[in-house]
Amino acid sequence: MNCWIAKRRSTNFIDGRLRERERARIVKHLNECQSCANEFEQMRLVRSTLRRLSPVKSPAHLRAALQVAASRERQAIAEGAWSTVRRVWNRWLFRLDDSMRPITLPATGGLVSSILLFGALSVTIGTTTRVSDYEVPIMYADHWGANLVPVQLRSSVVLTLNLDGKGRITEYEVRDGSDSFIGDTARLQYNNIAVPDFPSVLAVAQPISRGISISFTPIVYRQ
Amino acid sequence: MAHSLSGNTGSLSILAGAQNGISEEEARIVRGLRAGIESAYQELIDRYEQPIFNMVYRLLGNQTDACDVVQEVFLKVFRSVHSFREQSSLRTWIYRIAVNEAHNHRRWFARHCRHEVPLEKDRPDHDYSIELAQDPGRSPYDQALDSETRAIVERALTKINPLFRTAVVLRDIQNMSYEEIADILQISLGTVKSRILRGREALRRELNQQSSPGLAEALA
Repeated sequence: MNCWIAKRRSTNFIDGRLRERERARIVKHLNECQSCANEFEQMRLVRSTLRRLSPVKSPAHLRAALQVAASRERQAIAEGAWSTVRRVWNRWLFRLDDSMRPITLPATGGLVSSILLFGALSVTIGTTTRVSDYEVPIMYADHWGANLVPVQLRSSVVLTLNLDGKGRITEYEVRDGSDSFIGDTARLQYNNIAVPDFPSVLAVAQPISRGISISFTPIVYRQ
Repeated sequence: MAHSLSGNTGSLSILAGAQNGISEEEARIVRGLRAGIESAYQELIDRYEQPIFNMVYRLLGNQTDACDVVQEVFLKVFRSVHSFREQSSLRTWIYRIAVNEAHNHRRWFARHCRHEVPLEKDRPDHDYSIELAQDPGRSPYDQALDSETRAIVERALTKINPLFRTAVVLRDIQNMSYEEIADILQISLGTVKSRILRGREALRRELNQQSSPGLAEALA
């Protein structure tokens, strides 16, 4: 055994962690090497000196501080699950508030603007509603058939319509100058005149229940 | 029971004879801490306040700093006991926290306060305000010698590498086994032996430099 190996094993030797055979080899080396023997002896003294050091007593205020800290921790635990729920709730409230705060002013402005806009439009909507109280005099989707005039067109005609109070056609007469009515009744279903709806007229006129004469140029209505 | 795992990139030791897991007594304390039972807190303080303070004081060499660190250690223990996985003993876990806190404190102090000048110009080598747990049966001479020796050794301890100092303090002052030290420092058994060896050698050199007739007698 050389000095380098002996030195490497000094810790285990001093702490008594070597097997008897290994220990005997080191003891033999120490008997032969005065330098290593001195070094081992000093290491042993260092170890024994450290072990003999008296423990340092902690100051009294440290224990008091630890007991105060322990008391606070126990109090926190005693609040139990509710404190956790409250903590989570408060965290979410904070996040919500944090995210909503920047858009609060724009959102409020938008809401107020919307209310003002719809308030202004409601005046227009009311007027429109009043106008639409007039029923469409000639064409009704529900009464499409009633508004179809079965006329076989051969020339310009004058159509005389009799309307009821709601603008529906009750009677009609077709004139083409000489005759009052020309047409093949068998083909009336295939040659119709559709009296169109003119919504713009409703703005300046109201339906009447008397006869109306309208001149037509030939229009073929195809179904 | 011995297991040792080591790889090319590092080593992890599940150490021979180490106190793996938690004892029934410690488990009872841990359950009490988690439930907020006063007696468990008191028992923890009674058991560990003194040895933890002693170790931290040896690592830092300053009573005020040691008090601060010990308070931090216990606060961490109180607050982290719910996440303590009981894979090591409670004692090992607390010492590990204490060692880490002491190192963090030392690093923080070195970074922030190294250029500060203390109010007292000549700081005494030994803080005599610290009360020793002395054996009342020892003679006044022995006590004085012990005090002198302690001052010299403490001064030498502060001058060696903190890593080696920690290993030496845990082994020779706290009287811990190699396995327990490895578990606390989370290093391999070989590294523990190496650090103890180098720490003792450094301490020996320091003490030789400070050698005096009194010291020789004290060490003998």
